Amino acid sequence: MSKNKIVLAEDNSTLSLLLKFRLEKEGYELFMAVDGKEAIELIETHKPDLILTDIMMPFVSGLEVISHVRNELIIETPIIVFSSAGQEEMVLKAFSLGANDFMGKPFSPNELVIRVKRLLA
Amino acid sequence: MIDIQYFVDYYNDFPFLVKLVWIVSGLMFSAIILLTIYLKVIRYYLRKKDKEFTKFKNEYEALLVEYLYADIESEEFNKEQQAIILKIKDHILFKNKRKMIISILYNLMNEVSGEMADSIKTLYYKTGLIDYALTRLKNKNWYIIAKGIGELTRFTVADVHDDVIKFIKHPKREVRKETQLYLVSLYHFEGLSFLNELKEPLSEWDQVQLLEILQKLDDQEICDIRPWLRSTNDTVVLFALKLSQIYNQFEVKDSLMDLLSHQNKSIRIYVIEVLTHLYGIEAKDKLKANFNDLSIEEQISFFGLLEKLVIPSDEPFIEKHLFHKNFEIQLLALKILKSINIDKFMGLNNLPTHKKSPAMLKLEKIA
Amino acid sequence: MNTSTVDIILHLFHYLFFTYAVAAIGSYIILAIISGKETIEYLKKNSFVNYKDILSSTMSPSITIIAPAYNESLNVVENVRSLLSNHYVNYSVIIVNDGSKDDSLEKLIEAYDLEKIDYIINEKLKTKPLRSGVYKSKNPAFEKLMVVDKENGGKADALNMGLNISTTEYVACIDVDCLLLEDALQKMIKPFLEATDAKVIATGGVIRIANSCVIRGGKLIDVNLPKSLLVQSQILEYLRAFLLGRMAWSRLNGLLVISGAFGIFDKKIAIEVGGYDTETVGEDMEIIVRMRRYMEEKGEKYKVSYIPDPLCWTEAPDSYKIFISQRNRWTRGTIETLKKHRKIGFNRKYGSFGLLSYPYWLIFERLAPIIELVGILYFVVLVVLQQVRWEYAVSFFVLAYLFSVLFSIVALYSEELTFHQYKKKGNGYKLVLLTALEPFVLHPFILYAAIRGNIDYYFNKKKKWGVMQRKGLTSA
Repeated sequence: MSKNKIVLAEDNSTLSLLLKFRLEKEGYELFMAVDGKEAIELIETHKPDLILTDIMMPFVSGLEVISHVRNELIIETPIIVFSSAGQEEMVLKAFSLGANDFMGKPFSPNELVIRVKRLLA
Repeated sequence: MIDIQYFVDYYNDFPFLVKLVWIVSGLMFSAIILLTIYLKVIRYYLRKKDKEFTKFKNEYEALLVEYLYADIESEEFNKEQQAIILKIKDHILFKNKRKMIISILYNLMNEVSGEMADSIKTLYYKTGLIDYALTRLKNKNWYIIAKGIGELTRFTVADVHDDVIKFIKHPKREVRKETQLYLVSLYHFEGLSFLNELKEPLSEWDQVQLLEILQKLDDQEICDIRPWLRSTNDTVVLFALKLSQIYNQFEVKDSLMDLLSHQNKSIRIYVIEVLTHLYGIEAKDKLKANFNDLSIEEQISFFGLLEKLVIPSDEPFIEKHLFHKNFEIQLLALKILKSINIDKFMGLNNLPTHKKSPAMLKLEKIA
Repeated sequence: MNTSTVDIILHLFHYLFFTYAVAAIGSYIILAIISGKETIEYLKKNSFVNYKDILSSTMSPSITIIAPAYNESLNVVENVRSLLSNHYVNYSVIIVNDGSKDDSLEKLIEAYDLEKIDYIINEKLKTKPLRSGVYKSKNPAFEKLMVVDKENGGKADALNMGLNISTTEYVACIDVDCLLLEDALQKMIKPFLEATDAKVIATGGVIRIANSCVIRGGKLIDVNLPKSLLVQSQILEYLRAFLLGRMAWSRLNGLLVISGAFGIFDKKIAIEVGGYDTETVGEDMEIIVRMRRYMEEKGEKYKVSYIPDPLCWTEAPDSYKIFISQRNRWTRGTIETLKKHRKIGFNRKYGSFGLLSYPYWLIFERLAPIIELVGILYFVVLVVLQQVRWEYAVSFFVLAYLFSVLFSIVALYSEELTFHQYKKKGNGYKLVLLTALEPFVLHPFILYAAIRGNIDYYFNKKKKWGVMQRKGLTSA
């Protein structure tokens, strides 16, 4: 069986490195983006099985990534969004656009792994 | 040689003022040369620092990730981690590297929680970084103290409470603020007790930061906020109002009603908003009774409340204000009327144009 | 001719010029010292601020970015996208399409999936009417965006339309072709929230020059020093003006102007004073002066704040022709504003605003080019009359030149020790060289443009209006 592919869009470099290692350890293949634009490019080329994206990112926001995936590419790839406390409204928007799950920052990477596994099960 | 002698003589013949100007010019010229050379040095140093910054950042990020994942493998403190700690201990002897490591850890603490946050904290203790933060508290510069407290807050270092608390009355507001944030981060709502005797104003910025910390906590058990609603410090009252809105404090409605007649206008306006949020229909009669004595902003807020909490019996009041002098109120009144009595609302269309309010005319244009 | 009368006149002139020069140099030195103090204080204060909280907080106040656009079809889609990705929760963006004759609107509709909506505008400020209406996106990802299509009325009129539509507490007025860095709103809103003893009515930002910089995906990737000497000189000029001049004036609470390219205002007060003045070419200065005047007359404590971080980047004119017309317009704007509010000048009722800021602007900004021109003419007359005492002339000229070089170098230091944007090797050398060249490659043109501005203002009313009508919204 080939590895499940995940696109991770996050602009904090330490965090994304941390998550990359954590998820690679679980046997996933990771593609990293620092903003939404890169994320969209990666999604289009690699057709990942799961997308992890921060909501607030430079230039192209996480919301736009979701919108692009659901409305332009029209694919049902599961999406988990990261948001900071107080961005409830954005989270609601993310869900209405078709996000599958969300994690409020600060979050525990272990919990993320559990949710990733659940969505890819 | 002759030339120089010639210039010296020439110079000596100058009037005093001209001599002075030449001397000053000479000094400025030397200053320019010196500053230019020194600028080169500074720029060299800054470039080097930038380069090191990227290098160290990558290095320490990798190291940190390694450290954090070593933890998952075994419960006890393993060798690999020990080695990393020793390495970091060496590095933090240099100020630049120390700053870098702290900033990486600090930023990561913003993003992660749970077991990973705990391991970062352990690392912070074991490498001795905490001791540097503690020495900062003893510094004579206020901004270094503030920075130190901020760091202790981020890494939730509780055992230095006594060292930090003494800064709560520091003359510099930035230091006071960091202390407040520390208290709330560690002791949650209990930490807010400094509000009881706060004399200085609590700025919007401070309030936002305190609320952010509170909202990120797992423990959302709020304390009794009534004393703060009655505070003589208006900014504390405003802060308590925000708390009552965010934490849906239905039980403080009576105190809120009292605040409707507070002498501070921004408090009165905000109370109406909070009451709107908390379904404070009790406020309606009181506000209706002295509606004409309210400021325009309060009147608008009150119509905002009615928009949400209107019942059919409010109709006469609404109707009375269809022609209020303020456009926003006209518009709100129309909207509300539409929601409770659509027939009457449609009937307004039959009014001759010159008898319509500006809001009605605008609405018509759109429809 | 009576020689003694001529002598007296000549003497009078000497003393006048001498006093003016000494006062100007003195004021520069004082401003540099004050700005140094203020910069250090600012850096200390910001060394431990955690902006993360304000950025994510829903309790942070709401801001509307108002960006007027006139024939910006080329870049408008990209520019809007970068405006939409600022790191702040409570904000929205209103693009006011000010009667563009190109396809800006169509491009925006297509790129952002816009649809026309019914929107009732509370016309608190009189503006030109809507053209095709108000648009919002069907896609929730662009919920922050609103596009207003109105008939052409100039930048001030477009901003007023934005003020009417905005429902937030604060408005950020910007040029649509500016690149705002993602932390711009967080940083600029801070002064409003921090103040407890005086009301902050506006906060101004620094304008940095984006020519030759690499911008990708709405992000500033690489800062370069442009090749053109004209643009380089403007960079130096901006560093001096923003890092030394405005920083000091902000400390003295004496700022009279917030750059039209990026500033945040307290909306309520901006509307109470009547919004932007559509009759002037210097609306960005005029509104600040009017807001200050309003607060002084109301007797409320207030402050105009300033944030020195490099948050807003824009293209500077790279041809002398455009540069001169820009400065010509700035000059007329200054004249109009000072004239309109001349009541404030030397009026004790307005405190330091009337006794310090206004006179300073009048004497050292407004009148400087005229005095300089008179000085040059006077010198020519002396040469013709063979009255020049060359030992004085040469020594003072050298002194003035060295002072201006030294002052520019101080500005460079201020940049290196704070924001250090021109990091590349070799840039430092170029910048220092520039401090020596700038008095010759830029200053004469500034003087020329300012004199032309004066002439156009007083003798060429038609041009004044003509330029206003045609005026695009770019800073160029």
